[in-house]
Amino acid sequence: MQKQELRQGINDSVPIILGYLPLGLAFGVLANEVGMSIIQATVMSFLCFTGAGQYIAIGVMQAGGAVFTIIMANVLVNLRYLLFSTSMVPYLKGRVPTALGSFLSYGLTDETYAVAMKRYQDHSPTVSYIAGLNLSSHIGWVASTLLGAILGGYMSNTERLGLGFALPAMYICLLVFMIKRKSDVFVALSSALLCLVVGYFLPATMGNLFNIIIATVVAASLGMLFNERD
Amino acid sequence: MSGTDIWVMIVGVSIVSMLPRVLPVALFTRYEFPEPLKRWLSFIAPAVLGSLTAMSVLAPEGFIDLSIHNRYIWAFLPTLLVAIKTRSLFYSLLVGIVTMALLYNYFL
Repeated sequence: MQKQELRQGINDSVPIILGYLPLGLAFGVLANEVGMSIIQATVMSFLCFTGAGQYIAIGVMQAGGAVFTIIMANVLVNLRYLLFSTSMVPYLKGRVPTALGSFLSYGLTDETYAVAMKRYQDHSPTVSYIAGLNLSSHIGWVASTLLGAILGGYMSNTERLGLGFALPAMYICLLVFMIKRKSDVFVALSSALLCLVVGYFLPATMGNLFNIIIATVVAASLGMLFNERD
Repeated sequence: MSGTDIWVMIVGVSIVSMLPRVLPVALFTRYEFPEPLKRWLSFIAPAVLGSLTAMSVLAPEGFIDLSIHNRYIWAFLPTLLVAIKTRSLFYSLLVGIVTMALLYNYFL
């Protein structure tokens, strides 16, 4: 373990945890309302660590849907991780042992992915950094769920505190970080437009985030049309 | 849904959310990707963040809302400016959250 790298990973997870706090709290509260125990809600956040997927589970349970529906919806929602994980491979190769890298990839989310990719622009990945970043984000998610499940109805409105904008603000900033080439601007804008158009015409994809997958794949392919050398 | 059903659901969801994250790293790190694939993969991060930003700002409640009553659009502008100017996640978050709190409590 490299202490400095571990500490950097934990530092970089602070904004992520801030963003997870209201979402985890709300998940804990809602999970309780649809009949999950405090333990089940907390274990779910620990084992699944998928914000969108867990909210879908709540929605389907509320509507009286089946376990199978929830799992299939989660297959779709989590497909984007295939892209994230694969796009990290060229960075991890030769620097992070495969077994440890795979284990720590359990903690891959939209947020930990984006923060890590930003870091890898000018630093080599290390096991300590990924552990610090992913594990503390994971702990933050589990802890805020537990808090929400315990506090339940006593929760005050976190919207009032502006915390609802923590994740959007984070995406905006990480988007700025990811733009290095002209083609990146083009790809990001195409992807933004495409996911809205797809979501508009196929509203079901808004619920399971499949519009994001379609937009990402198409926009990344459009980026290949640029032949600049970076 | 019974207690057992819930546990089955939790385990099922955890499997399908773990596999797509872990498998690519587990299987592919021993191979060298061809250049075009690496290049395509290099566009995944900007593409995903473009989508996520668009969705979280323009469809914050799960449906597209392009009206002036959408606070997220108003909070987006100062946050973007600060992100570009400072290139700091901390200041971007701070400005975004404070702007949103002000909008929620005093304006929209």
